Amino acid sequence: MVSSENIVAAEDKFGAQADADLSLVNAVKQGDKRAYRQLYDKHIGRVYALCYRLTADKSLAEDAAQEVFVQLWQKIENYRGDSKFTTWLHSVTSNVTISYLRKQKSWWQKMFSIEDSEVMQHGAEESSDSVDLDTYVARLPERARLVFVLHAIEGYRHEEIAKMLNMALGSSKAQFHRSKQLIKEWMGYE
Amino acid sequence: MSNEHFEQELLNRIQELPQERQPERDLWPGIEMAMNIQVEAAAPQGNVVAFAKQPVWYASAASFLIVAMFAWFNFNNSNVLQVNEEFIAQMTMQHEEQKTALLVKFEDQPALTQNWQQQLKELDEAAGAVKKALLQEPNNLALLKMLQHVHQQQIDLIENVHSSRWTQI
Repeated sequence: MVSSENIVAAEDKFGAQADADLSLVNAVKQGDKRAYRQLYDKHIGRVYALCYRLTADKSLAEDAAQEVFVQLWQKIENYRGDSKFTTWLHSVTSNVTISYLRKQKSWWQKMFSIEDSEVMQHGAEESSDSVDLDTYVARLPERARLVFVLHAIEGYRHEEIAKMLNMALGSSKAQFHRSKQLIKEWMGYE
Repeated sequence: MSNEHFEQELLNRIQELPQERQPERDLWPGIEMAMNIQVEAAAPQGNVVAFAKQPVWYASAASFLIVAMFAWFNFNNSNVLQVNEEFIAQMTMQHEEQKTALLVKFEDQPALTQNWQQQLKELDEAAGAVKKALLQEPNNLALLKMLQHVHQQQIDLIENVHSSRWTQI
């Protein structure tokens, strides 16, 4: 369902002001904290939006976004300018958030390997028109949500997602199918 | 309604999704603090961090020793390890003392994450469940180890959210 145009658009999601970003990045590489603050102000909205979609939790998303910017400060040297800064930031955000989510699994889940399979409970049935897509995405089980956000919204290929989430290619596709089926049902199509 | 309609509506809704969303909390102070810690850690100041952590290790070792002695005492008096309420209470007391000492130590230091207290509470609940199970199965060494593991996780959590976490990334 995701066309190549959508993928290009998704890769470009963090904006097109590459030159301005590059000069800020170069200043940050010299240890300029004020430039880093500017970079933060410019990108926090998009970084947090992605963190929120992946975690479906405000508090976790805030912590993950904080972690992204802490790690970015340390790893900014790794950005060589081969791709747009926004594309690189996009990838750092996804990877840091996924890693953060793994660390945050509750003690019970870790100890007893409880599989995350339950669909988030929701209240009385609302009209599908009044519910935005983000609400449906937040209701998805964790793995299905991660795959849906990365593939359908952010434009990653299943091969990339399988690698990021350490799962088989087929699992990524299956989780995507599952997420679409659930959303379809919630939207009143089934 | 057809599958085709659904695919189209889904595509439309994806395209309409807002690209930005602002966090409710101001994240910058935490980020700035972590940046400053990194800068300080990069400066050659000797093994300050390792030294600062030593008292905790001493406390952990002391705690372990007391638990081990208790276990040995119980084992030698009955040839079977008997975990009774007194044993669990002693173990809990040792852990609570260690935990309180750490919380006092980091009292004035802001935590780098917001949900650590929730995690601490979850671990408390986990410890409670294991203690209950231990009373049902007093000879179950795996449960005893599990309780020690939960206690250690609490200690690690408090240290990680308050101390030199960012120097370890």
